[in-house]
Amino acid sequence: MTSKELVQSKELVQNSEIMRRSLWMDAWRRFKKNKMAVCSLVFLMILVLIGLSTIVIDIATDNAIYDSLIIKQDLTDRFGEPSGAHILGLDEFGRDILLRILWGTRYSLFMSAAAIVAAAMVGTIIGAISGYYSGIVDNVIMRLMDVVLALPYMLLAIAIVAALGPGLVNVLISIAIGYVPEFARIIRASVLSVREREFIEAAKALGASDRVIIFNQILPNVLAPLIVQITMAMAGAILSIAGLSFLGLGIQPPLPEWGAMLTNARAYIRDAWHITAFPGLMILLTILALNIVGDGLRDALDPKLKN
Amino acid sequence: MQNEKLLEVRHLKKYFSTPRGQLHAVDDINFVIEKGKTLGVVGESGCGKSTLGRAVLRLQDPTSGEVIFQGEDILKYKAAKMKQLKKDMQLIFQDPFSSLNPRMTVSQAIAFPLIIQGVISQKDKAALDKRVNELMDLVGLAQRFVNSYPHELDGGRRQRIGIARALSLQPKFIVCDEPVSALDVSIQAQILNLMQDLQKEMGLTYMFITHDLSVVKHLSNDIMVMYLGMMVEYCSSDALFAKPLHPYTRALLSAIPVADPDCHMERVILRGEISSPIDPKPGCRFAGRCIYATEACVGEEIPLTEYEPGHFVACARINEIHS
Repeated sequence: MTSKELVQSKELVQNSEIMRRSLWMDAWRRFKKNKMAVCSLVFLMILVLIGLSTIVIDIATDNAIYDSLIIKQDLTDRFGEPSGAHILGLDEFGRDILLRILWGTRYSLFMSAAAIVAAAMVGTIIGAISGYYSGIVDNVIMRLMDVVLALPYMLLAIAIVAALGPGLVNVLISIAIGYVPEFARIIRASVLSVREREFIEAAKALGASDRVIIFNQILPNVLAPLIVQITMAMAGAILSIAGLSFLGLGIQPPLPEWGAMLTNARAYIRDAWHITAFPGLMILLTILALNIVGDGLRDALDPKLKN
Repeated sequence: MQNEKLLEVRHLKKYFSTPRGQLHAVDDINFVIEKGKTLGVVGESGCGKSTLGRAVLRLQDPTSGEVIFQGEDILKYKAAKMKQLKKDMQLIFQDPFSSLNPRMTVSQAIAFPLIIQGVISQKDKAALDKRVNELMDLVGLAQRFVNSYPHELDGGRRQRIGIARALSLQPKFIVCDEPVSALDVSIQAQILNLMQDLQKEMGLTYMFITHDLSVVKHLSNDIMVMYLGMMVEYCSSDALFAKPLHPYTRALLSAIPVADPDCHMERVILRGEISSPIDPKPGCRFAGRCIYATEACVGEEIPLTEYEPGHFVACARINEIHS
């Protein structure tokens, strides 16, 4: 090895050390090893892309495709079996099931994401305050959360939707409220353990305010359980949206929501299997994928698993 | 400059309320630290050393007493003034594994105090980087670690981050809470030398808390020995090692290992358990384990008396023991 090469290799070593190797990179490396989780993540990514592109198509065509293919009924060709022209067949009003499923992605995926992100934000703030200040504040907040938790989740959602009336936003609110206590509890527990660490005392000794300590020092350290909980809760929220729609309280026909498609098709289940099977299958696959990704994230973010 | 008092603590008490009564963690502590000097605080686990350090910095508000820093009683300070004061009084922690935020890089950890105290604006990246680099040089951290996370570094390097963080605000006084007891012996020497150099360079004043007398021997000007929240002996470092007075101090000193296999020192072995710090009875708290204890040691409080000029000891039988 010439001296020039030696200098270069030394530089290489130094450069690689300068490279920012964050905890998230480590987690991603561990996540990649879990093939099932990666497949599920890819599946979810495809769904997100489909959801986004259908929205873009609707905006670009001024709802022309949406009106003519998704909503418009064609009673001459009801219950069409899956075929070359309509891969998943036609529903009870002669609409293409595949297209309706694709167009329905936005409700299941984006609505549940919006509801859960809202719940996670509110729950995180409540949980962080509760865990950080402890004492009476903690007791009052947590007992209030217990009250919400004491109600069966679906019943609570139904009650809220019944009170507010069905509709996109109301379903969203009802689902978000139901998930707040879950997030608050998880964040509170994590904050309780982080708050006793010495670096929090160091921040206090440096003169940091409570707000800075909570948001800047504690919350970044509880992100891992939060992310896992968000993916898991999203699966639950998709099911809840579908469930509410199935009960006729959620998204109303003729919007192509998967749960709503199921409830409309239910009456014809003996005559046309494909109308119920495919929307149901989509719900199943999406929830399965979210759960597997959640499990994978939990394993990857666990600092005790250093491999 | 030589005899300027930087910090004076008078009758400092910190009690904790527990279901079984008042826990006397720090009981009537008095001491003075002059500018540029080091006070060593020595005692076994649970004797209230760390609580004393935190009470002095008001991280835990004392129950009563006075902490006079640069001529003013800081216990009377309001929150805003307290935040200003934190620039002058800092803390170095025992455990470099938990005293650093695992989600912050070295540069973020060192820049954090500068940002929250408003010394350098968060937007002024160039000035921040420059100051972080200066501080890393000061504590002997190689620049290539600037973007490393604490878990990627060893204990000695992490402790250097902790020191850099404490120094970033250019404090006058630093409480060092067992800064080397979590480190290997070889690293301990490095860190202690670093702290000594920094003291000379920046004129720092230390309150050095430790359970290891050999660590403070070279570093301290004065030493205070604590037992169950009370001072049992307080004198210059030289006097303590030359002539320990209190039976407890002598037991501590005899526990220092000597690097000589032929040296057979007489060990003073302490028997019995440390008594409970909850609502302690008046009298010497060490009496239960002391080989010299008599009835004179219990029943009433034993004051700290000046046995020799500048050498204070709290022992009822001191004259008999040392005659």
